Amino acid sequence: MENSKKVSKITAILNRGAAAPIIEALSDHGITDGHMAVGRVAVLQEKKGLLGAERSIIVEDPVEIISFLISQECAESALFQTIKTGGLDVPGRGMAYSEEVNLLQAHALCVENKAAAFKADAEFPLLSDIVGICCIVQRGQGNAVARVALDTGTCVPNITFGRGTGVRDKLGLLRITIPADKEVIGIVTNKDDAEAVMNLMIDVGKLDQPGKGFIYFYPMNKGIINTKISRGMPKHAASIEQIISVIDEMKGGAKWRSRSGSAETEESKRACLLGLIDMTLICNEGRGEDLVKAAMAVGAAGATISRQKYFCPPGSAGSKISIAREFCNMIISEQQIPTMLDAIGKAGAFDDKTHGQVLSRPVPKACTYLGKK
Amino acid sequence: MATQQQAGGKIKTSFKQKLSMLAPYVKTRVMDQIKAVALIITYLILFQTIILGIPIAQAAVIAIGLALVIGGLTFFMEGLMLGLMPLGETIGLKLPQKSKLPVILIFSFILGMGATFAEPAIGVLKAAGSSVKAWDAPLLFLILNKYSNLLVYAVGVGVGCAVVCGMLRFLYNWSLKPFIYFFVIVLSAFSIWAYFDPNMVFLTGLAWDCGGVTTGPVTVPLVLALGIGICRVVGSADSGSAGFGVVTLASVFPVLAVLILGTMFMGSVPKPMNEADFFGPDNRKAASALFNNKEEMYSYAFKNASAKSQIALFDGESGKMIDYMRRLLTDEKERTKIFGEKSDALYKWAAIYGTKEQQLAVFGSIDNAREAVTKYSSASNERIDIFDILKRNTQAAAQAIIPLSIFFLIMLTLVLRERLPRADEILLGLTFAVIGMGLFNIGIELGLSKLGNQVGGKVPSSFKAVELTEQKKTISNFNPEVVQSAVTQEGEKTGFFYVKDNNDYKTLPYHDKQFNPDTKQYTYIPTKGPLFGGIIGIVVVLIFAFILGYGATLAEPALNALGLTVEELTVGAFKKSLLMQTVALGVGFGIAIGVAKIIWNLPLVWMLAPPYFLLIFITKISTEEFVNIGWDSAGVTTGPITVPLVLAMGLGISGQVGVVEGFGILAMASVCPILAVLCVGLSVTKKRKAALKEVEQSTQKEVAA
Repeated sequence: MENSKKVSKITAILNRGAAAPIIEALSDHGITDGHMAVGRVAVLQEKKGLLGAERSIIVEDPVEIISFLISQECAESALFQTIKTGGLDVPGRGMAYSEEVNLLQAHALCVENKAAAFKADAEFPLLSDIVGICCIVQRGQGNAVARVALDTGTCVPNITFGRGTGVRDKLGLLRITIPADKEVIGIVTNKDDAEAVMNLMIDVGKLDQPGKGFIYFYPMNKGIINTKISRGMPKHAASIEQIISVIDEMKGGAKWRSRSGSAETEESKRACLLGLIDMTLICNEGRGEDLVKAAMAVGAAGATISRQKYFCPPGSAGSKISIAREFCNMIISEQQIPTMLDAIGKAGAFDDKTHGQVLSRPVPKACTYLGKK
Repeated sequence: MATQQQAGGKIKTSFKQKLSMLAPYVKTRVMDQIKAVALIITYLILFQTIILGIPIAQAAVIAIGLALVIGGLTFFMEGLMLGLMPLGETIGLKLPQKSKLPVILIFSFILGMGATFAEPAIGVLKAAGSSVKAWDAPLLFLILNKYSNLLVYAVGVGVGCAVVCGMLRFLYNWSLKPFIYFFVIVLSAFSIWAYFDPNMVFLTGLAWDCGGVTTGPVTVPLVLALGIGICRVVGSADSGSAGFGVVTLASVFPVLAVLILGTMFMGSVPKPMNEADFFGPDNRKAASALFNNKEEMYSYAFKNASAKSQIALFDGESGKMIDYMRRLLTDEKERTKIFGEKSDALYKWAAIYGTKEQQLAVFGSIDNAREAVTKYSSASNERIDIFDILKRNTQAAAQAIIPLSIFFLIMLTLVLRERLPRADEILLGLTFAVIGMGLFNIGIELGLSKLGNQVGGKVPSSFKAVELTEQKKTISNFNPEVVQSAVTQEGEKTGFFYVKDNNDYKTLPYHDKQFNPDTKQYTYIPTKGPLFGGIIGIVVVLIFAFILGYGATLAEPALNALGLTVEELTVGAFKKSLLMQTVALGVGFGIAIGVAKIIWNLPLVWMLAPPYFLLIFITKISTEEFVNIGWDSAGVTTGPITVPLVLAMGLGISGQVGVVEGFGILAMASVCPILAVLCVGLSVTKKRKAALKEVEQSTQKEVAA
C-alpha cells in the first residue's frame, strides 16, 4: 500500500468511430496511453404496437469505451478536452467522467500518463456528486437490467461483455456446464439516486438470488451524463433532455431531480456488503486467468475478465506492451490487498510478459446472493 | 454461491450434484439444436406427406438419422465453442506476436490447403459428379472423375492463397472491397467467355459451387477465430469487422482455380455429342482420353449408356459384344475391373440393366435368365450396412478435425513455444467436435439426405408426372390379354389394364417395354402428378425451394458460428438472429431462382452476372463492416445441411426436366444472401445516421436558442 498513488481515471463512452479523433486530440496534450473496449448502449424507441398502443422497445447501438489514467492535476483539463473533441455536451453523443483510483502497483511501463498541465480548448459545466453503478449478470440478462436506467430516466446504460471466473473454476471439467459469459452494465447516476436505482436493478435482475449476478456502486469525481434515453423526433420545442441539462446547469448539479424519496423500497431488509474494494488488474491477454487463479488461492472469490485494446503511439515505450489486454475486476476487502498483490506479483503479474497494472477503487456498497440466512 | 468452497481448492461435488448441473447444460444445448433443425425437418416431412401425398419410405431409419443429426449438431457446436474456436483464437493471438511474416503466410497456406482436404462437402460434389454423363459434358466428366484429385488440389491451392491474402489483409488493414471488385470482374469475364465454349459452360457451374462448398463447418469457425485473434493484436485493425473476410476470399479463389484447371484440359477433350457417336469408333481416341483405361470406359458404358451405344463401343457389331460378355464370365480379372469385387455383380447387372442378348450371353439359357431376373429384381437389395456407415463417417469426421487440430497444436507448442491455455477444456472440445461431426454425418446420410432425396425427387410431380421408383412393383405371370385399348382425343391408340390392389381396382397404362415375355413379368412404376399442373405447379416448386433454402440455412452450423461471432464482436449490437434470418431469406430466394434456372434451363451466366454487378455497386456504398460480414455469410451458407438437400433437389428436378446438370443452384444461394445482408446493413447504417442527425438537429436548436 505504501507504493500506491492516487491518480485519476477518465472514461469516455462514445458512438462507434468517435474514439479515434479523441485519442488523437489527447495525444497532442501528452496523453498517449490508454485502453479501448467495444460495447453497446441501449436506448428506448417508441413503437406502435398492435391496436395502436405505443410501447417502448430497446434499440442498441455499438459504442467504443476509452479509458486512461492521468495525474490528478491534469484530470479536469483532460476531461474537458475529451468532452470538447467528442462533442459530448450534446445529449446522445456519449458520456465522460473521471474518478479517483489508487494505482497500487504496476510494471514500469504501465503507469499513468505523464502530461504536463494544460488548458483544454473549452470548459463545460460538469456534474459532481455522481456515482457509477456496475452490475454483472449472466449473458442475455443485460438488457432487462439496463432498462431500469432507461425507465427511471437515469442515463443511457452501456453494456460490455466479460468472462466470469469463481466457483466455476473449482469444478474441474464440470465447469463447462456453468456459462462463463457475462454482461456488465455500467450506468452513472447522482449520489442521492444511487441507492434507489440500485435497488430497482436488484429487483429486476433478482440479484439477491443465487447465481444471478453482482452489483455495486463506486464513487466518481465529475462527469457529463448522456441523458438522451429515447430516440425519435421531439414533440416539443425542446426535448426533455435539453431541459434537464439546462436546469442541471442552472442548479449546478442534479440533486434537484433526486427521486430517492419516492422510490423507497425494501432496502432496509436487504443484506448488503459494505466497505469493499474493487481491485482491477490490467494485463496482457491470456495472462489474466492464471493471475486470477493466484488471487483466488489467497482468498479472492472470483473475477470478471473483459477484453481491452491497448493504444499508444507507434514506436513509443508503450508499444512493447501487447495490444490485446484484459481487465480483471475482483471485489475484495481492503485488508486483503497486500496479500493479493503479493500473490499476483509472485505469479508474474509485473514481468515483461504480463505488463500488469493494479488499480483499486472503493466500493461503499455491493449486493449479491449472500447464502441462506 | 458461497457454499462449502475452500480457498483455491477444488470443490467436491456428489454424483447427484453433477447430474443436476449437467442436466440443464445438456438440455439448453439440445433444445437449441432442435430449434435449429425443427423447421427444415417438419417442413420436409409435411411437404411430402401432405402436399405431395406420398408416404415416407424407410421412416424408421430416417427418424433415427434425424435424431443423430440433432445429437451430432449439439456435440459439434459445443466442440466448436470449447475447442476449435478457442484454439484458433489462441494461435491468432500468438502468431503475429511471436513469428515473422513468412511464417504466418506459410502457416496460412498450409491451413487453407489442409482445410480443403479435410472438408467433407468436397466429397459430396464429387459424388454429384457421378451423375454427369461423359458424352453430354466431357470436360466436366473428366475433371470430376479421372482428375478429381487435381480438382481437389486446385481448390486447395485456391483456399490456401485465400487464407494468405486474408491474413495479409488483417496485418496491413487492407479493405476487402478491392478484392471483391477484382474477383467479381475477373470471374464474370471468365464465366461469360466460358459460356460460349460448349465444354467450359458446364464447368462454370461446378467452379462456382466449389467456391461455396470449401467453406464448411470446420474451416469457417477455425479461420474466423484465427482472424479475430490476429486482429486483436494488430494495432491498425478495425475493431468492428475484425476477423471477417477470409471466408469470402476462400469462396472466390477456388472458383478461379477451377476455371483455370478447366482451361488447361479444354484442348484434350471431345466436344459434347450424342451418346452413340461418343462411343463410336470415330471418336474412340478422343473419348478414351476421359478414362484411365479401356476397362474403365467399358465399365462406364455398360453401367450408364444405352444398348445402342454399348454396341457402338464394339464398332457396331453386337456379336463382338456378346463374345466379350462370355469372356467376362471366365476371365475373373477382367470382370473385377469392370464390375467390381462382388462375385455376383455381373449377374446382377445383366439381370437388371442387360439387354436380352446380354442376359442370354451371361446366364446361358433363357430359363436361367428368367430366374435371375426374378431373383434380382424382386428383392430390393438395399440393405443398410451399419458398420460401413459408422466406419466411413467416423473416419470422415476424424479426418476433418484431427489433422488440422494437431497441426494447430504443433504450431502452438513447437513453433510458437506457448502453453495451451485451458488444455483440458480445449481437448474436451475437440473430442466433442469429432464425436459431433461423426454423429452428424451419419445422421445426414441416414436421415436428412434420404428425406431430401425423397422429397427432392418428387417435387417436380407438382407440375409434371414423375415415377416413384422406390414403389416399383412387379406383376408375375402377367398375361398380355388383359390389356385393353383406349383412344386419346387425337385418335391415338393406347393400352391399359386393370390391376387389383387389395380390394381396389386401379387402371394402369400399358407399356410394351415393361413387359418381359420371357419371364412373364410386368414391372410398373407408379407415377404421381402433375398435382397442380402448369404454372401453378412450378410456383409450388419455387415456394418449396424457397422454404427449403430458408430452413436449411437456419440449421447450418457454420452460419451459427458466424452469427455468434458477429454478436460477440459487436457486443450484441448486431444480433445473431438478425444475421441468420437475413441470410436465410437470401438463401431461400437464391435457391428458388436457382430452381427456376433449372426448370426453364436458363443460362447460369445471365442469372449470376446481374446480381453480381448490382453487388459491386452496393458493396461500394456499404461500410467495411457490413461488406465483410455480408460477403462472409455468403460463403458459410453452403454447408453440410444445405448442400445435400439442395443438390438432391437440384438433381431431382434436373433429372425430371432433362437438364444436364443441377449445378449452379448453390451459386445462386451464395449471391442472394450477400445482397440481403448488405441491404440490411445499409438500412441499419441509415438508421444510425438518422439518430445522430437527430442529435445534430437538437444541437442546432440549442445553439439558435
